[in-house]
Amino acid sequence: MSVLTINNLSKNYGAVKALKDVSFIVPKGTVFGILGPNGSGKTTLLGIVMDILKATAGNYTWMDQEYSDSIRRQIGTLLETPNFYHYLSAETNLKIAAKIKGKGEADIPRVLEMVNLFQRKDSKFNTYSLGMKQRLAIASTLLGDPEILVFDEPTNGLDPAGIAEIRELIKDLNKAGKTIIMASHILDEVEKVCTHVAIIQQGVLKTVGSVASVMNMSGQENVTQLLIEVSAGDNTALKNILLQLTGVQTITSEENDLLLTCNETMTAEQINRFCFDKGIVLSKLNLKRKSLETRFLEITGKQSDR
Amino acid sequence: MLNLFKIEWLKIKTYRTFWLLYLSFMIFSPVFLWFVAYKFMSSKYTSLEEMTLKALAGSPFIFPKIWHTASYFGGLFFIVIGMLFILLITNEVQYRTHRQNIIDGWSRFDFLKAKFSLLIFFVLSATVVVFLSALAVGLMYTPSGGNLFEGIYFVGYFALMATAYLVVAFLIAILVKRTGLSIIIYFVLVVIVDNLLWLLLTINGNQVGYFMPLDVVDSLVPNPFKPKVMENRTVPDYVLIIAAITYISAYSYIIINHFRKTDLKT
Repeated sequence: MSVLTINNLSKNYGAVKALKDVSFIVPKGTVFGILGPNGSGKTTLLGIVMDILKATAGNYTWMDQEYSDSIRRQIGTLLETPNFYHYLSAETNLKIAAKIKGKGEADIPRVLEMVNLFQRKDSKFNTYSLGMKQRLAIASTLLGDPEILVFDEPTNGLDPAGIAEIRELIKDLNKAGKTIIMASHILDEVEKVCTHVAIIQQGVLKTVGSVASVMNMSGQENVTQLLIEVSAGDNTALKNILLQLTGVQTITSEENDLLLTCNETMTAEQINRFCFDKGIVLSKLNLKRKSLETRFLEITGKQSDR
Repeated sequence: MLNLFKIEWLKIKTYRTFWLLYLSFMIFSPVFLWFVAYKFMSSKYTSLEEMTLKALAGSPFIFPKIWHTASYFGGLFFIVIGMLFILLITNEVQYRTHRQNIIDGWSRFDFLKAKFSLLIFFVLSATVVVFLSALAVGLMYTPSGGNLFEGIYFVGYFALMATAYLVVAFLIAILVKRTGLSIIIYFVLVVIVDNLLWLLLTINGNQVGYFMPLDVVDSLVPNPFKPKVMENRTVPDYVLIIAAITYISAYSYIIINHFRKTDLKT
């Protein structure tokens, strides 16, 4: 079952095309990352499926149902910035959200506890720090324990401990069976938290799929590659030897190491034995998963004008 | 609708600016009415001119004319409520809570209905204050019985006027979105443009001026101190009422139509 189905969505702001014909499906039970640089259209996309922006073309469905406004009551959403009444306390702000969602107020202490704001529930929103505002916004999304959560840059403004907490929270929510849709420009965050990812650049969907499958596709052709870091006392000699090993595709010299890209069949053991047989003892042998960052740069190019 | 109002009430019941502006209308408009009545009724006019002026004005503070006078005074102060209403709408845009309300599950129409419920609250409570202050001042200064409620339809005119003023405020707030700019536009429209148009378009008994957007309702409750002989309006009240309702409906339509289709940005 799909939680969110997006069909050919486009959005123009005058001459600017913020989204171009984007389609994908968010499967149930996933942590679905929408990854893209600033201004790539992530928030625009989420704004459209939340009905605060109107699409120029295309459509979407939540939970394969015909769209109705009340569907949003079953989704906890944090979009762009924490939006609250500045002159009201955290608790009153959550009361308003709970009433709009048609949920009871009984859930308010629980969600405040979850983000460590219970002690400050009577403070006015405008006395909160940026991180507290963000946590209150996350608390608000958790009201009524919705099955679907949408987070736009959820760790925005949080300190490192807060970031780690929120990532844990997202993983826990996912373990509890919730589907989470998360927009982020932080690769590391998506890599650590998400099961699926869609990469958007300048309003165009570049790729979509499970994180593993996206990372395994190499730049041009769909061949799986391994990255292996090695070093020895004499890296030049090591390089010459490794050039003879079949399965090694490229060798790049890094600061103190050599970085090898190899066929997917290559194993660390093979390399180790090969070098040892040739009289070189490796001081380092590190099998690296290809990072999402590398993939992201391959997909989107390296210019910051993305 | 009542549920929507309860949520609106939650938004404003601890908002100091709301109480400041709301109570300033609820308190100042009756106090001012009573104060002017007190001065007017207790002054001992001696000169002939003053006697004539007073006679021409009729008896604005006793029944039945007090209904008219109180409605007019209420109208003078009602711009405060108009500004408050603008503030409460543009606040939502500024805090982006209009987006959040919809994200949380209101339809766009729900958001508008919630604000309309607030509009109704303002109109009803202001009308009650006008009614009560007219009743109190009238009872204070009217010598003996007679029909208390003759001319009470002016209170109804007040309610219509209040509705028209708030719908205009609503429209400006929804279209302009910025608090300061909306309030300035509203103020200039109500205090200057409206009166200027009326002056220009009622010269020589021209009736067009009475049909300008807000003059329609203003003309239903003219200045009570203005002698009857200076009144040039020949258009009957019911025509103005129909015109006012037409305006209110048209503005409401524009508000709904605009808000349903627009991107909700700040």
